[in-house]
Amino acid sequence: MPPGVRRAATAIVVTTAVALAAAAVAYAGNGGLAPPDPKSPNAERINDAYWVIVVFAGFIFFLVEGSLLAFVLKYRRRRRPRTAEGPQIHGSTKLEVAWTVLPVVILALIGAVVFYKLPGIKNVPAARAAGNTTVEIEGHQFYWLFRYPNGAVAIDDMRAPADAVVRERITAPEDGVIHSWWVPQLGGKFDAIPGTVNQTWFEAPAGRYEYRCGELCGIQHAFMNGYVRVLPQREFRAWVDRRAQNATGTELGREEWRGVCQKCHRLDTEFIGPAIGGNPLLADRKGIEPLLREGRGNMPAVGDTWTDEQIDALVNYAKRYAGEGSQGGGAG
Amino acid sequence: MPERGARVAARAETPVYRADWRRGKVASWLTTVDHKRIGILYVGTSLAFFAIGGLLALLMRTQLATANEHFLQREHYNAAVTMHGTTMVFLVVVPILAGLGNFVVPLMIGARDMAFPRLNALSYWLFLLGGVVLMSSFFAGGGAPGTGWYLYPTLSTLHMPGNGMDFLILGLHILSLGSLAGAINFIVTIHNMRARGMSWMRMPLFVWAILTYAWLLLLVLPALSAGLTMLLLDRQADTHFFDPVHGGAPVLYQHVFWFFGHPEVYIMVLPAFGIVSEVLPVFARKPIFGYKAVAFSTAGIAFYSLLVWAHHMFTVGLPVGLDVFFMLSSMVIAIPTGVKIFNWLATIWRGNISFDTPMLFALGLIGVFTIGGLTGVFLAAFPFDWQAHDSYFVVAHMHYVLFGGSIFGIFAGLYYWWPKMFGRALNEGLGKMNFWLFFVGMNLTFMPQHFLGLLGMQRRIYTYEHGGIWEVYNMISTVGSYLMGLGLVAFVANVVLTARRGRRAGNDPWTGDTLEWYTTSPPPPWNFERIPYITSPRPLRDLRRRLAEERGF
Repeated sequence: MPPGVRRAATAIVVTTAVALAAAAVAYAGNGGLAPPDPKSPNAERINDAYWVIVVFAGFIFFLVEGSLLAFVLKYRRRRRPRTAEGPQIHGSTKLEVAWTVLPVVILALIGAVVFYKLPGIKNVPAARAAGNTTVEIEGHQFYWLFRYPNGAVAIDDMRAPADAVVRERITAPEDGVIHSWWVPQLGGKFDAIPGTVNQTWFEAPAGRYEYRCGELCGIQHAFMNGYVRVLPQREFRAWVDRRAQNATGTELGREEWRGVCQKCHRLDTEFIGPAIGGNPLLADRKGIEPLLREGRGNMPAVGDTWTDEQIDALVNYAKRYAGEGSQGGGAG
Repeated sequence: MPERGARVAARAETPVYRADWRRGKVASWLTTVDHKRIGILYVGTSLAFFAIGGLLALLMRTQLATANEHFLQREHYNAAVTMHGTTMVFLVVVPILAGLGNFVVPLMIGARDMAFPRLNALSYWLFLLGGVVLMSSFFAGGGAPGTGWYLYPTLSTLHMPGNGMDFLILGLHILSLGSLAGAINFIVTIHNMRARGMSWMRMPLFVWAILTYAWLLLLVLPALSAGLTMLLLDRQADTHFFDPVHGGAPVLYQHVFWFFGHPEVYIMVLPAFGIVSEVLPVFARKPIFGYKAVAFSTAGIAFYSLLVWAHHMFTVGLPVGLDVFFMLSSMVIAIPTGVKIFNWLATIWRGNISFDTPMLFALGLIGVFTIGGLTGVFLAAFPFDWQAHDSYFVVAHMHYVLFGGSIFGIFAGLYYWWPKMFGRALNEGLGKMNFWLFFVGMNLTFMPQHFLGLLGMQRRIYTYEHGGIWEVYNMISTVGSYLMGLGLVAFVANVVLTARRGRRAGNDPWTGDTLEWYTTSPPPPWNFERIPYITSPRPLRDLRRRLAEERGF
């Protein structure tokens, strides 16, 4: 390789690396060099395991790339004739055993760290506080449905109590597709599989944590994102009670309208589905129920697991508010 | 060189055959059973599909360059995701390796053709047919399916109307038949038709790799066919293998698919490693360091690749015991892979290294594949996989393995064997431009994707709403992908420009070690006038030394 090309190439590689590092530092936090700032013990332990692997992988990385670069520079042809041979070394059992054993040791260490961290990641901690709760999480095309032990329901916006163990039971309706529930700051992701329940947990301070859907689930996969709002215990308790007592209320109706209908419909223009403004079905409880529960044509059965109250909530909301605040936004 | 008159006379004296349509310029290619021509057909067709698959990737990267983009959305984006993956795996990497294997393996082992030349031709034509059927899903009702290349039910069964999915399944079935026939052909050829003296331990390492590739295809393609058949029946015959409403299990498909799908990774990457093991010694003027270790590590990787499939499924909720088993078995694969990398490094150590394009690609493979291998260790540790699974971290990892591994190896092979295939070498300047565009482009494209994945960007989304660092990384990634596109343009330009005016290569332009350089470039239909007795893995070097001794050096 002529020196000019090499210099240019080195310059490009170095500039790129520096630019990347600078970009990473300039913007918030770790810039993607590690999973986002963990806020739950299981997420913290995953991050610990990540950093241990980074150390070992970094060692191997510099060993390999360093020797590669050194050998390429040191043993380049220079003025030797093209066919001049290097020493005809056919191998070395000692060396080869060494670089077989070295990875074995490193992998054993990584494995040991994983085993050490595993119980704290996988096992739901024994109930400690009174504020513990369980949330049933259902992945639908294309929204997330959350059910609480007292019957409260929420769409796309999950609320949870702060500093308490929140057990998540993740599933999808039997006639649905596979999704994957992922709150990066609160631990790993688990698939929402039709007909199966997966469990995980978190315990987080009050705050707002983004969740995303991991598994390709259809045309609006990109919009199955939202927030887990971890509220102070008292605030959460108030919210969950209000939601349960007010099962057909505007709050839920609005969430359903925005999270379920608006992912594919606009009032006045055709979006993924037809425009629905002025559609008499919106106010027709009997007419809309089969559409929600069974779907029609390309429309999935978005309400297949809904309670009657949920349908009432949607119809109540649609009757009163469907005209305002529904343009644009949403899944645009 | 005889006078013109003499040549005309000679032509008149040659026996006159009846005009045979099979001798026509086009017809001779359509009816050929010559392994070299079939190999060239494979390579050419695969490169055409590479352009299509690459274009799909550029469309996706254009859509993702900035937040909230409207360039290619929803079902169109998802179709591009599916067809990019399916094309690159089934229509590019696997068949181009079959093409290189077809051209090179009989020459390397001193055979006059493959064991079953007509079956060989059938394999190629099935590949072309399968490719056309697969591509036709773009034009089917409903368009190409938006499921990703692994076609998970129930999205692919109950929720993918139209016939695009059925065309895709049919295309894959046809491709599998072609690959199976090809695999059997490779196995029979390599087991039975090696030159006298070429024992297993004197076989070129690329032949080892192709033998392993063929055995793996034979072992795992039936699993793919079974899975696809069940998908098709679920779609068209109302069976319920994967439909939970009727007691089916969507996760069952994932087991079946990945039992094929993970070995498929090694099907795509082991022959590329084989090419590196051929190229490094020739351009460093040293023997491969630890021939046996490299050969056995190939077989070892292949064996363990059959035991790791569920590491693609850590998030489906496997019992912890299985998670642990599949973590450990996946980590075990890192060991023979590490052996290869260290032995390659030891091969160039104290060598006399020439930086021709094949060598650049081979050295580049060591550099970038190492990154893909190391991120594989991260993903094997399943608690971390719970974070990274289905995120851009996986997209980055997989492309470091498949672009940095397979494609770099394949291009090393193309530049290395091109003079043998066509008698003319590819241009070195354009070749180096191709390499640097690929090298810089792939690192720009895929390195930031690691960070995006860790930040929380999941794969297969057609847009994202975050600006800031998300947008910066995505833009860098898109710029990189265009550089790779330019790299491919440089390659095509190289092929076109050197087709008529390239440097005549001669029989042995690189002073090679293996038997394919013993014959003319391009070789005659019968390959060799005489096949020497093989006494080592480097028969040509032995021959050169013997000649030198006879001349009294």
